[in-house]
Amino acid sequence: MDRQDSGITRRRLIQAGGALAGAAAMGGWSPAWGQSAGRVVVGTWGGDYSKLLSKNIDTPLMVPKKYEVVHDIGGDPERRAKMRAEARLPRGTSDLQGLSAAQMFEMNDAALCLPIDYAKIPNAQFLLPQMKYPYGIGHIYSGKVILYNPKLIATPPTSFADALDPRYGNKLGIIDIQYQFTMMAAALASGGSMTNYEPGKERLMACRKAGARILPTNEAMAQALQNEEVGICIMWKARAVQWQKAGAKVETVAPKEGIPLYISGFVIPKNAPNKDGAHVWLNEMLQSSAQEAFAEDMGYNATVTNARIPPETEKRIGFNAEERKRLIDLDYSYLAKNDAALKEWWDKTFKG
Amino acid sequence: MVGPASTVVAIGIVLPIVMLFRYSLNQFTPAKMMVDAFTIENYTKFFTDPFYVAVLFRTVRVATLCTAICVILAFPMAYCLARTRSRFKNLLLMAVILPLFVGNAVRAAGWMVLFGNRGVVNSILVGSGIVREPLQIMYTEFAVVVGVIAVNLPFVVLTMQAVLEGVDRAIEEAALGLGANPWRAFRHVILPLAMPGVIAGTILSFILAMNAYATPVLLGGPTFQMMAPTVYNQFAGLSNWPFGAALAFVLMTATLLLTVTSNRLAQRYYRR
Repeated sequence: MDRQDSGITRRRLIQAGGALAGAAAMGGWSPAWGQSAGRVVVGTWGGDYSKLLSKNIDTPLMVPKKYEVVHDIGGDPERRAKMRAEARLPRGTSDLQGLSAAQMFEMNDAALCLPIDYAKIPNAQFLLPQMKYPYGIGHIYSGKVILYNPKLIATPPTSFADALDPRYGNKLGIIDIQYQFTMMAAALASGGSMTNYEPGKERLMACRKAGARILPTNEAMAQALQNEEVGICIMWKARAVQWQKAGAKVETVAPKEGIPLYISGFVIPKNAPNKDGAHVWLNEMLQSSAQEAFAEDMGYNATVTNARIPPETEKRIGFNAEERKRLIDLDYSYLAKNDAALKEWWDKTFKG
Repeated sequence: MVGPASTVVAIGIVLPIVMLFRYSLNQFTPAKMMVDAFTIENYTKFFTDPFYVAVLFRTVRVATLCTAICVILAFPMAYCLARTRSRFKNLLLMAVILPLFVGNAVRAAGWMVLFGNRGVVNSILVGSGIVREPLQIMYTEFAVVVGVIAVNLPFVVLTMQAVLEGVDRAIEEAALGLGANPWRAFRHVILPLAMPGVIAGTILSFILAMNAYATPVLLGGPTFQMMAPTVYNQFAGLSNWPFGAALAFVLMTATLLLTVTSNRLAQRYYRR
């Protein structure tokens, strides 16, 4: 056979391979990539939250803009550790990281967050002032309230002092991973403040000695409430709404000492590979349609003023005018400085 | 031929351990996480704090208990497996291996279904009138010990069975033929010959139990603290890498020392 006639010579094959490698090196050769506006990697918790980010932001708002959105799913401790570990790299592996407000503060304190360029986020004009940080944006919020089962708790509690009371014995449930909010609530119930959790420790120890159950996770608490092993606890109102939907017979009370805010949001790591894409994603996160969908699907409140939440949903998940006055933000600086000591006390003295 | 393997070991094991040891000598500050230093304060903190020492002792206690029970349960199983001439021998071996197909966390989830206040065990106990109120089994040391034994038992059985297969049946028959009762034959003939398998199984089980993570977290709950979850908590929960690294080193050293010491004692005893 004449090799010249075959059309495929060794030289041509090498040339074609070289061209292919060159195209790949130039930025990824694929027909799909050619049409893409870029890839945005969103670090987030898994489960429902990740699914809802896809359903309410990625698919309806980012895909039409030709963005490819990838979720880097993991718990926040792992993702925070990853941010720290990647800090020295010129290019990190994520464009956004979903964290609580306290964690966003902590990451910024460690100089790991890119300042947000609000000029690139037109929807930020509707953002509630408490949700706007120089280093991150609040996506959803709720407040810490009291949950109780009227069948097991005869007198409805009205305050954290009522809820975190040793007289409930083992009917009082405490969530291990909620140590910050639990210590904060105990402090507010015992004359402490957002910058002094010390006064609450004695109350918590009394509850522990009286047999309060310490459950590892929010999900374990949901099960304990469902089984009626636990009759009273403190939790975010959004979770209470979800548990009520799932059939738990619990009522909620906004504590009179104040309703500590839980804000979950996103930061852009300093070394994010696609900073522009991250800003686009944040803008879409604040779209009223996405915010309305999250309120309906997850029971968290919208962080923008132009979201139109149905009155029925608002009544279920939101706070009335009187309660809104009692919403109190955390002192993130105090938490960042004292978290290690608070956790150590929790692990060694309270649980130990 | 040794070169590539040594390189993989150096990169994959030795290098991270060296880095971890270096981290353990650094200082922790909440804002910066880790500040370069050369201090033994993390080790001092561990050995002077009764809480962490108690966590280490609890871990050693659970690991020792689980290992002892595993060895006692595994030996008869391994012996039967080694000696059986049944055509179902492969099936029996598969039955031992089968639990290894399922991850530790999944198996712990199974125990959670059994041990919960409304779980199978409590339903039977309450339903049959043995107890009035459900027993608290979840989040106890008992639950952790059962969970760890369930994880380790197949490893110990397989290790012992492999050695017992090599013990000549004629030696055992000779002991019985010479007048030894079954207990004496076991104690003076079978056990010493099976000792390499017993020691290997013991070491394997002890190391696995000392480093158990999923089972203590899921079955022990927040108040039952063992070393591996404490190490993870320092790294991931508190971002305290220096102290986490020191804890990891203490755990590694304790496991190594206890394993080597018990191995040497056992070998010395059976050499006599």
